[in-house]
Amino acid sequence: MDEVRLQVSHMIKNFGITKALKDVSFNINKGEVHALIGENGSGKSTLTNMLCGIYPIDSGTFTLDGVEIHPKNQVDANNHGVSIIVQELGTLSGLTVAENIFLGHEERFITAGFRNTNAMNAEANRLLKEYGFDRIKASSLVDDYNFEDRKLIEIVKATYFKPKIVVIDETTTALSQEGREELYKHMDRIRAEGNTVIFISHDLPEVLAKSDTITVLRDGEYITTVKSADITEDDLKKLMVGREVTGNYYRADYGEEVSQEVVLKVKNVTVPGKIEDVSFELHKGEILGFGGLSESGMHEVGKAIFGASYGRQGQVELADGTQINDIQTAIRHSIAYTSKDRDNESVVINQSIGDNIALPSLSHLTYGKSMFLDWSKVRTFADKFAKEMSVKMVNTEQFVSELSGGNKQKVVLARWIGRGSDIVVLDSPTRGIDIKVKQDIYQLMDRMRKEGKSIIMISEELMELIGMCDRIIILKDGKLNGEISRSQEVNENSLISMMV
Amino acid sequence: MNGFNQLSGATKGYIVLISLVFLSWAVFKFLTPDNFGSYNNLISYFQASLIATVGAIGFYFVMDMGMFDFSIGANIILSAIIGCQLANQFELGYFGLIFGSIATGALVGLCNGYFYVKLRIPSMIVTAGLALIYESIANYMAGGVEQTLPSDLRAFGQMPGNIILAFITFIIAYLVLNYTKFGTYTYAIGSDEFVAKNMGINVDKYKVLAFILSGAFFGAMAVLTISYGSSMVAVTGMASMSRNFIPTMGCFFGLAFMKYGIPLQAIILGEFIVNIIFFGFISLGAPTAIQDVITGLALLIIITLTTKVNPGEIVK
Repeated sequence: MDEVRLQVSHMIKNFGITKALKDVSFNINKGEVHALIGENGSGKSTLTNMLCGIYPIDSGTFTLDGVEIHPKNQVDANNHGVSIIVQELGTLSGLTVAENIFLGHEERFITAGFRNTNAMNAEANRLLKEYGFDRIKASSLVDDYNFEDRKLIEIVKATYFKPKIVVIDETTTALSQEGREELYKHMDRIRAEGNTVIFISHDLPEVLAKSDTITVLRDGEYITTVKSADITEDDLKKLMVGREVTGNYYRADYGEEVSQEVVLKVKNVTVPGKIEDVSFELHKGEILGFGGLSESGMHEVGKAIFGASYGRQGQVELADGTQINDIQTAIRHSIAYTSKDRDNESVVINQSIGDNIALPSLSHLTYGKSMFLDWSKVRTFADKFAKEMSVKMVNTEQFVSELSGGNKQKVVLARWIGRGSDIVVLDSPTRGIDIKVKQDIYQLMDRMRKEGKSIIMISEELMELIGMCDRIIILKDGKLNGEISRSQEVNENSLISMMV
Repeated sequence: MNGFNQLSGATKGYIVLISLVFLSWAVFKFLTPDNFGSYNNLISYFQASLIATVGAIGFYFVMDMGMFDFSIGANIILSAIIGCQLANQFELGYFGLIFGSIATGALVGLCNGYFYVKLRIPSMIVTAGLALIYESIANYMAGGVEQTLPSDLRAFGQMPGNIILAFITFIIAYLVLNYTKFGTYTYAIGSDEFVAKNMGINVDKYKVLAFILSGAFFGAMAVLTISYGSSMVAVTGMASMSRNFIPTMGCFFGLAFMKYGIPLQAIILGEFIVNIIFFGFISLGAPTAIQDVITGLALLIIITLTTKVNPGEIVK
């Protein structure tokens, strides 16, 4: 009989109207590597972030070794015996390696208010040596090390105190094979010591090879827990993506001929460290989808087309030969872009709806050809396109910060429709948006396509790519890894096999 | 160049800083060889630079956390006036001068920090508003009269008093920054406040502490200022802002050289560079306006060359 280490009971988490976790319950045993898998947005990271005190718990309980815990922050979670290695960089710049390792746990080195830095460095050096990371020096600034070495420092930070549970959240994607092997070695050690690893990864062969047990989440719901030895990769994929699509809000047409007229050519585009040698063509009236894992580089494709990437090489060329190398040229030539990071990169959060809609079109909203803004034109313009997009608002004077995610997205789309953009790059256009607004956005995209506008849709939601796009290009590790044309036969498995 | 890259961060930082000291000295020595840059002159420039250095070192704790303080000048004036009055009118001598100035500075820092944390509005706005209040309090306490420090209480205006006081403050700052958890948390909060909070750090508490410490250092700067200049005049209408510039410039040196791991040393040498340029212009007899323009430009160039900004990084 396996001994239960962690009981997850009726866990619920909401972010505004988004239900991230819906009454999730399952057990995790002692001395196992327990994988947590699911599509983006399935609730894996939300669950582990709550366990580690990064997000507060809305409802439900975590019971660790028979004791209910409510971690308030990461240090509190550490004190309960839970630690995490995150996907992104988890070390703090400006601090030394030793300071990072012991951040929040310095008390043991403090006497009369003064920290014994030498003792702290010596202890950190001892740990680094014990882990086999001798080349990393405790007294050096963490900034002196590359991303991979900083991940290794995080491994030490998260495990040196022998926690009962270590969460490894999509960390392996950031590591080279050598780094992965180091991580696997420490996962094995934790398991051998009778402790538990919660392992989150999109790499299914890796999940099957390295875990003992696998729990599948989908759309914030618990699906099942299986033994790794009893399941195949294909079965796992089905469990991950096997939902029935309800409601026919995607495009219904199949077999429609896409125009041969090329409106945009992307030739050998490389953005160092993000995408490599990406080439494709976009046709008039086409919806071209880009899919892949979150870090595959697909989000950078949108920025590269819009001239918003740094250090971009290669060419982005319009049909008339115009080169798009910066944002101003892109906007001048009718290219629009909506970012995945809506609040920080798309809307000006502390300005009104009207200002946001009119922003790129202000030069056309002046008194004649003067430089002075005609505010009646601005208001009429904003009202017209806000109404066209059915933005739920009091009026266009209302601040964007007061709107829901879906309505913010409508404001962004109204901005570019008002600008008369012919090529629209939509990065994660329905991210965090409820079904009704999603449907509005899909209908708008279909209408734009029929009007001859060309759309590039970048999305982590495979079903919307399949449902909306004429072609789907898959990126893996920054490179093009396959292309699929619109057909009723395409399903999520067809895409996943190219993504992972 | 490869050899330079292989040096440790601190060594590279020292080489850059000492080169800048030498360069700024050499330029003015070339232009005005007779009345600038002798050994004795350099000692005198260094002593003058110590005054602002003390404030800049304290201010570094605030700036490194990503906050700002517009009440530096007002703090110095108020602290100096209270210290002077305690020393002189209350006949508390050096104890009154030092304790009065530093305690007042710390209290001003506490007010800055408290209102910043409680009101949750940008530190620039809070401190600018409070600066007006501090100026008015200083003016009220001085009764509109210039406060003069008696000659027998001016030991901190010359060697070795000024060096000793400055040295003590440097040691304190160095210990706090490198040997207390407060120092580590200063960097952690400046690096990523959200992560710092998740590490269980009471961010608001440490922000207030940073303002208190910074204020106390401005109090020490006030002791050096009034001892060096012998008197202090209370001003109003934000006229105290002119005193903000030099400590702030030193602090920029500290931030720019943080990547080399020698921020405090950079502040000391940075303030020295600022003073070399300042005295260089005086030696040249340049009009004040020209001095300000060229000093401003020279400092902007130095900071630009020594600060590395990543592509796409937003600079505010």
